[in-house]
Amino acid sequence: MINCRKATRLLSRAADAELPWIERALLRLHLAACDACTRFSQQLQFVRAALARYRE
Amino acid sequence: MDATQFVNELDGHRRYLLRVAELQLRDPDLAEDVVQETIVAALTARGSFTGKSSLKTWITGILKHKIVDAIRQKQRQPVSVGSFEEELDLDDIDALFKDNGGWEAKPSDWGDPESALSRREFFDVMTFCLEKLPPNTARVFMMREILELETGEICKELAITANNLWVILYRARMSLRECLEQNWFAQQAR
Repeated sequence: MINCRKATRLLSRAADAELPWIERALLRLHLAACDACTRFSQQLQFVRAALARYRE
Repeated sequence: MDATQFVNELDGHRRYLLRVAELQLRDPDLAEDVVQETIVAALTARGSFTGKSSLKTWITGILKHKIVDAIRQKQRQPVSVGSFEEELDLDDIDALFKDNGGWEAKPSDWGDPESALSRREFFDVMTFCLEKLPPNTARVFMMREILELETGEICKELAITANNLWVILYRARMSLRECLEQNWFAQQAR
């Protein structure tokens, strides 16, 4: 299992490159059990969407 | 579109171009030069503007190249080569987590964040937060998220490893999220 710190690192990396399948699986497993990181993941996506808007 | 109209429309995007260049280059004079060059280049290449994309998208594309050129030249001047070393240390970000890797303080509920996107003040806070990032981190993050360069290009351009790039982008995203939470969402919740 991975912890939250590791999960946030993987989530950031996933925004730049496709993760290896094992890390993708570990991340999915973690997110399924962790509300805080699920929320973090959504917030990260929101920040990226906001940056896209900022760009325009 | 005739020449005068074209110039007027270009001029209408000047402020936006300047803001992007300033955030990216952290040097108002250089940003001014780059925007000037961009506008000249756009006028010269006017014939190749087909109108398929918006003028803003088209001219931002030209600006990207000019910024990358400017960064490349900056890198060659030894004085201004910022060392990435100190910005690769994640101690401050790791402090957001406990020793066992759990959250020290969990991300708070942002309510309906989408509604912030229609608020001008939100983007002011965003600018504030971007400006608060350490200089090299900001530059790299803007290359990635505003100029939309591929990670490979950024690594090549700045001569850094993919791992260093990931660390820098991670730090930028964590800081930005934290800053938006403190300076926008926490304020909204009051």
